[in-house]
Amino acid sequence: MEKSCGPVWVIAEQIDCRILSVSFQLIGHGRKLAAALDTTVEAILLGHQMAEHPRQLFAAGGDRVYLGNDPELAVYQPEIYAEIIEKLAKEKQPEIILIGSTSMGRELAPLIAARLDTGLTAHCIDLVIDGNNVLESRIPAYGGLLSIICPDRRPQMATIAAGVFPNPEPDGNRTGDIIPIEVPKEIPQRIQTLKVVREEPEGMDLESATIVVAGGAGAGDPAGWRKIADLAQVLNAALGATRPTVDEGWAALETMIGQSGKMVSPELYIGVGLSGELQHMVGISGAKVMVAINNDAKSPVFEQVDYGIVDDCREFVPVFIEKIKAYREKLKTC
Amino acid sequence: MFKIVVCVKAVPDPKEACNIKIDPVTKTLMRCDVPMVLNPLDKYALEAALQFKEQFDAHISVLSMGPPEAGNIVKECLALGADQGFLLSDRAFAGADAFATAYTLAKGIEKIGPFDVVFCGMASSDGSTEWVGPEIATFLKIPVVTRITEIVEYNGQWWTVKAELENGYRLVRVQIPAVFTVTRALNTPRRLSFSGIIKARKKEITQWGIQQLGVSEASVGLKGSPSIVSTIATMDSRRKVEILEGKREEKAEQLVQRLANAGVL
Amino acid sequence: MIDFTLTEEQEMFRKAAQEFAETQVAPKVPEMEETGKVSLELVKAMAEAEMMALTIPEEYGGLGLGYTARLIALEEISKVSVAAGMMLQVFALGIEPILKYGTDAQKKKFLPGLATGERLASTAVTEATGGSDPTGIRSTYKKDGEDYILNGRKCFITNAHIADTITVLAKDDENPKAFSTFIMEKGMDGFKATHEENKVGMRGCNTGELAYENCRVPKENLVGVEGKGLGVALAAIGDVGRGGMVGCALGLQAACLDVSVKFANERILYGKPISRLQTIQNKLADMKIDLEAGRLLGYRAASMQDKGERSSNEFAVAKYFSTEAAQRAAKMASDIHGGYGCMEEYAVSRYMRDSFVLGPSAGTSDIMKVIIARWTLS
Repeated sequence: MEKSCGPVWVIAEQIDCRILSVSFQLIGHGRKLAAALDTTVEAILLGHQMAEHPRQLFAAGGDRVYLGNDPELAVYQPEIYAEIIEKLAKEKQPEIILIGSTSMGRELAPLIAARLDTGLTAHCIDLVIDGNNVLESRIPAYGGLLSIICPDRRPQMATIAAGVFPNPEPDGNRTGDIIPIEVPKEIPQRIQTLKVVREEPEGMDLESATIVVAGGAGAGDPAGWRKIADLAQVLNAALGATRPTVDEGWAALETMIGQSGKMVSPELYIGVGLSGELQHMVGISGAKVMVAINNDAKSPVFEQVDYGIVDDCREFVPVFIEKIKAYREKLKTC
Repeated sequence: MFKIVVCVKAVPDPKEACNIKIDPVTKTLMRCDVPMVLNPLDKYALEAALQFKEQFDAHISVLSMGPPEAGNIVKECLALGADQGFLLSDRAFAGADAFATAYTLAKGIEKIGPFDVVFCGMASSDGSTEWVGPEIATFLKIPVVTRITEIVEYNGQWWTVKAELENGYRLVRVQIPAVFTVTRALNTPRRLSFSGIIKARKKEITQWGIQQLGVSEASVGLKGSPSIVSTIATMDSRRKVEILEGKREEKAEQLVQRLANAGVL
Repeated sequence: MIDFTLTEEQEMFRKAAQEFAETQVAPKVPEMEETGKVSLELVKAMAEAEMMALTIPEEYGGLGLGYTARLIALEEISKVSVAAGMMLQVFALGIEPILKYGTDAQKKKFLPGLATGERLASTAVTEATGGSDPTGIRSTYKKDGEDYILNGRKCFITNAHIADTITVLAKDDENPKAFSTFIMEKGMDGFKATHEENKVGMRGCNTGELAYENCRVPKENLVGVEGKGLGVALAAIGDVGRGGMVGCALGLQAACLDVSVKFANERILYGKPISRLQTIQNKLADMKIDLEAGRLLGYRAASMQDKGERSSNEFAVAKYFSTEAAQRAAKMASDIHGGYGCMEEYAVSRYMRDSFVLGPSAGTSDIMKVIIARWTLS
């Protein structure tokens, strides 16, 4: 196939030999970008005991996988990872590099971008190819949408959170080339990951929940936060959080919704005691029905939901819980 | 002496940042007089330096890039206990993306002189890319650890730190000089004190432009930025909201009804 | 043209005071309201934040910042708690006579401890028979060898029960026209704080009575010249006392306006926030005008005081205006809150109670008018 420009690259990420869903989502969307540019989608996969995994990346839409399969690469090692990708990119000249907005991606992406002397966008909620065959990253900011481009330098790079693009339908019949990558020997070992500790996440999975209750700083204190958690429990909903509540220590980082957290698309979203800051709201733009409970009638959140309750959430939520229970009781008896 | 550089940024006060909107007609930012403050996460970076200094003695330089008014936040850092301030200010620096910002700051760090550690906030509250710390490290050709939550051990040239990870953390051993970007979990920043403000009277802020920094106009600011904003669109995320009224009980009752009717309860 | 802006450094002082008030003072308010007692933790926090050191020169362990900085601190602290502001204002009031009229030995002995908050200060003029008219006091002193013997009682004394160092005004036993000011110290034989008041507002700021019976005070504790003590006490009250009340009042005005704006934006009537109603806007505008005017009067007087100029008349105007304005602001804030304004959960009910204590403190509004009229006619 004659390509009009370099390939679209996706830096795939694996944890304990499991490829993250965001990597597949980026390959899926990368296909669309590649189609517009008339080029291919290629993934870089670094890890150990990953020989069988490229198949999944092909099924998701990849045409080629560069596989670094080595004990040295089992966990993310910033200097080695950056060095490998820099060398490979300088040789293969990709047009675009997409990276998941994970804690690894958020560190690795700028390391690569600076090494390749190129631009990098964060928090993209959409990526399109414009009329000049340039990648346009759409980023919400200040209540609007910025389009950021990198017109003169290549590759064009972006990080994207999980859930921004849908999971592609895997096609088991697709195949592609696997190109092995050697671990270079002369990399400075100034930084070593000694240990990675991960705990089982608590509570319901946000991304797959049909109801999401998100709490904000309006909870006021841990007692107020518990009331919001109670609401989530009664509704059998996943509990999400905003940055301030994570900072307060009421909620775990993994439950943060929005630009630097998770993107969710539930049937019902209830925002409790939060002001509707864009950083949070972009994470739930896919929700079907949206409700906000906030004591400030002028809060921007009330422009972004279907139903608004102007009230102190700590007072309102317990009453709301009782009404939900009463409604459920009534359903049973009818 | 052990030398620390802390990179800080003046940002629109996050408490009032929701007042910054895009003018739907001109498609430019309407700032609405939102005051500029020290980027909240940078306070944690400075605190990390101050705590190190209290334990082992060190010289702390604070470095910022911005308009002359950003001198205020450098002064604030001096009042909080930093020893010396540097402000990179030049019309040519305006409009920089993360790449050009990191390049300029890296040049500033080199000009300040030999250093052992650079602390940055994990991200700024306005751009929130998290790119600047790692890109500074790349330009300085030194390692970086982002999102650190704990400094476990200072052992000569080798520091051991914990860094935030989804559902956990990674333990990293790193050789200094290095860049660390810090999270709020790392420490509790001190408050401004009156005597600190008085002590800052005697501390200097050095201002450098492109000439002093020895960089070309093409490598900084908008011209040196690989990425540019091509268009600004207003985003209509608005929904037609129905504010439910009445007593608390009535509002709750109505809400349950609406959600039941929508089939989402 | 006159520059009305605060310097960059003064803005930083404001920020420091604001952070202190929001993080250290605010959490103590419910307890202070509940018990009416001084929070010793708050006193400790104030000392650690160097709040007692503001007006004391650096050579005596203070910060030497002067009166504009003090006004800034008082305004920010009073915005969160007028009681805390009042307590702090009276510490400075007790310190001022030593600063202005004390001997070098007295300064060396007392000021360093007062600067660190190890010792707390107050001043005591008012008695049952005279406060606004200090010549009506009945406390007496009598020379006894190298010492003085003091007898009498003081009432409505802020910090009476927590102060260690109190400047006390008394009258010559034998000459009713001669007054002297003495430094009395906690622990002196025959000197004690007696009744503690239970005030309607400024709860958590201690007010009470002092009694001294045949209390022996060494001559080293005489402040200024014997017989000229009225000037010593009044000079402190005229500038520092009134200036302090301006800080308390401005803080309360600002707090009233803040909660009113917040409530008016939250409270929905006729399908929209009440801040869109002209009648509410009118009140908000009145409060804003009063606050702006009060600040101009107060900071003008403080800047004169910093230059060493006589500022007691200007402070009388500022004190009258801002304490009256604080009462108006509390009333308007309460009106805007409607029924909620009567509920203890809402801060406005506290503001209302506090506002009524501002008036009589450091000279009633009527006395301010007397002073202002005297100034005008002179």
